[in-house]
Amino acid sequence: MASMFKWLDERLDLRRAKRDLLDREVPARLTWWHTLGSATFTVFLVQVITGTTLATYYSASPDHAYDSIQYISHQVASGSLLRGIHHWGASAMVVLIIAHMIRVFAVGAYKYPREINWLLGVGLFLTVLGFSFTGYLLPWDQKAYWATAVGTNIAGTTPLIGGALVALLRGGSELGAATLARFYAFHSLWLPLILTVVVALHLIVLIRQGIAARPRDLEVGAPAKTNDPKYPEYYREAYAATKRGGMRFWPDILGKDAIVSAAVVLIIVLIAVLVRTPLEAPADPTDTSYIPRPEWYFLPIYQLLKLVPGSMESLIAVGVPSVLVLVLLGLPFFDRGSTRNLLHRPVALVGLAFILGGAGFLIGAAGRGPRASEAGPVLSSVQRAGRALFQSQQCGGCHQLAGQGGEEGPDLTKVGLRHSVGWLHSFLESPSRFHSESRMPAYGPPALTHQEIEELAQYLSSLRGREEAPPQFYDTFPPPHKP
Amino acid sequence: MATGSLEPPRTGRRTFLRWATAIGGFFSTLLAGVPAVRAFLSPTFKKTHQEKWIRLGEVDQFDPDTPTKIDFVDTGNDAWIETRRLRSVWIYTEDGEHFTVYNGRCTHLGCNYALDQEHHVFRCPCHTGYFEIKTGTVLGGPPPRSLDQLPVKVEDGIVYAEYEDYRLGVPEKVRT
Repeated sequence: MASMFKWLDERLDLRRAKRDLLDREVPARLTWWHTLGSATFTVFLVQVITGTTLATYYSASPDHAYDSIQYISHQVASGSLLRGIHHWGASAMVVLIIAHMIRVFAVGAYKYPREINWLLGVGLFLTVLGFSFTGYLLPWDQKAYWATAVGTNIAGTTPLIGGALVALLRGGSELGAATLARFYAFHSLWLPLILTVVVALHLIVLIRQGIAARPRDLEVGAPAKTNDPKYPEYYREAYAATKRGGMRFWPDILGKDAIVSAAVVLIIVLIAVLVRTPLEAPADPTDTSYIPRPEWYFLPIYQLLKLVPGSMESLIAVGVPSVLVLVLLGLPFFDRGSTRNLLHRPVALVGLAFILGGAGFLIGAAGRGPRASEAGPVLSSVQRAGRALFQSQQCGGCHQLAGQGGEEGPDLTKVGLRHSVGWLHSFLESPSRFHSESRMPAYGPPALTHQEIEELAQYLSSLRGREEAPPQFYDTFPPPHKP
Repeated sequence: MATGSLEPPRTGRRTFLRWATAIGGFFSTLLAGVPAVRAFLSPTFKKTHQEKWIRLGEVDQFDPDTPTKIDFVDTGNDAWIETRRLRSVWIYTEDGEHFTVYNGRCTHLGCNYALDQEHHVFRCPCHTGYFEIKTGTVLGGPPPRSLDQLPVKVEDGIVYAEYEDYRLGVPEKVRT
């Protein structure tokens, strides 16, 4: 061991590398909040390990994607756990990177001299969102399909270039095989490459500039503006002073990083073990009743679109995120005050509270929204044909389904729990035989064929809400016709 | 965090953090690494051999001394893709009680051989291999070994064979 180290050291000068990297002095009294960046990085590594392994069993084709996910979940040793870790790890990464950005924002660490690293960090944030957006199409289940359909449609509302943008994202005008292939290529080839390079730059800049000191050590006696010609010299001295505590990167910083990172990984694995990783029914492009809901971190935009009139939609859907990104990118350049503590920066404090409060409010509101079809059963082809009839015959004009539709007739959300297919078929043919005062039109021939009535009845029978309880039929048939 | 003067950190705390780095790193690697490695290696410790008994027909439907070719669809699972392959076997009986079943592929390079009724032998059209019908022994041509006999069983008057493919072009009969 010792001789091997000596052999390597003679060639690579490991001692110096250790001195420069591990033994370097860092500012005193750094908080636990400083571990968020390394925790994000750790989760990225976990995503790489789990993702590359999942890729060995995944097929990026609409014919097989869903089946390959099933295969991973049921046939591959630890496959279900692996997919769980990757799924929940993705959410954890978004949480951590946002928390890390808030920490950097709160201690003014995007200010001189760290503007470049802030920009790189914004790039990392957008790349992580790109991972999320491309990643959740891959299972090719209902949520994947419909959320991506909506997501790409939002891009399509962009003025001027909307149509081209949709075609670019989807690899064609429709969402399909080409979309899945390019999302997979981006998710597993381009984005990891981009993220790795930008993370490397982020870390190189970090090592060159040193870890950000706490705000109050860089505020006493500082010029009011960071673009004051005297500021660089002030900063150099003030920052050097913070390092006099004799704190070293290892173990003083790295030890805390390791504790937090291990805790985060443990939590992700525990969630993956305890919470079922969602997988809905296979993607069904003919299912027009499905209500798509995006992942939670895209919910603010999702909810925002419900609150604005249609004419404003493109402005909001594309405009709000674009403005937010521009604000993030411009932040270190228009905020030149040398005060770093968030509590002494009223505008920044209000701005942060507004964005977080707004996002939180929208996520909360979206959480109360309809989600009826989320746990919907897998429909047979007959039932799907029936669903198409339900739409074309405008049954929803009089009947409620999952909180939507007219109120003339009974709510059909759970009609499958109350009546059998046979009863529904007879009723549809001639409702007045059952209730003489029924205002529902008779759908017996020639309105619909017997085949169509059966399809409709089968579809209605599949409507059972979200209850696990077995159906209890209250079927009473009228006395037979007297000719 | 801590307030106070800029005094060097205590050694106890440092020892703790040194250990924390090692143990934290070790456990993080383990937590993510073990499922990944297990999943990656999963094909190596998975049982691949599944018994597949094919129903060939009733005992009395096979004429003694005349071999019969039976085609069947083999439904296999190629990972997440269900595949259907057309396979064939030859069944032969001398006495109507004991049956010999051959894999329908020539042991040379896997062509489907056929019955040469004139000479009462199996003849492979690809490279003119000849096999004896009764034992499957090579009578001529390039085949490296006799026809591959499959396990046979008769239950309630029904003949079953367990379909297997063996490696082609080698003298030993080994499973693929």
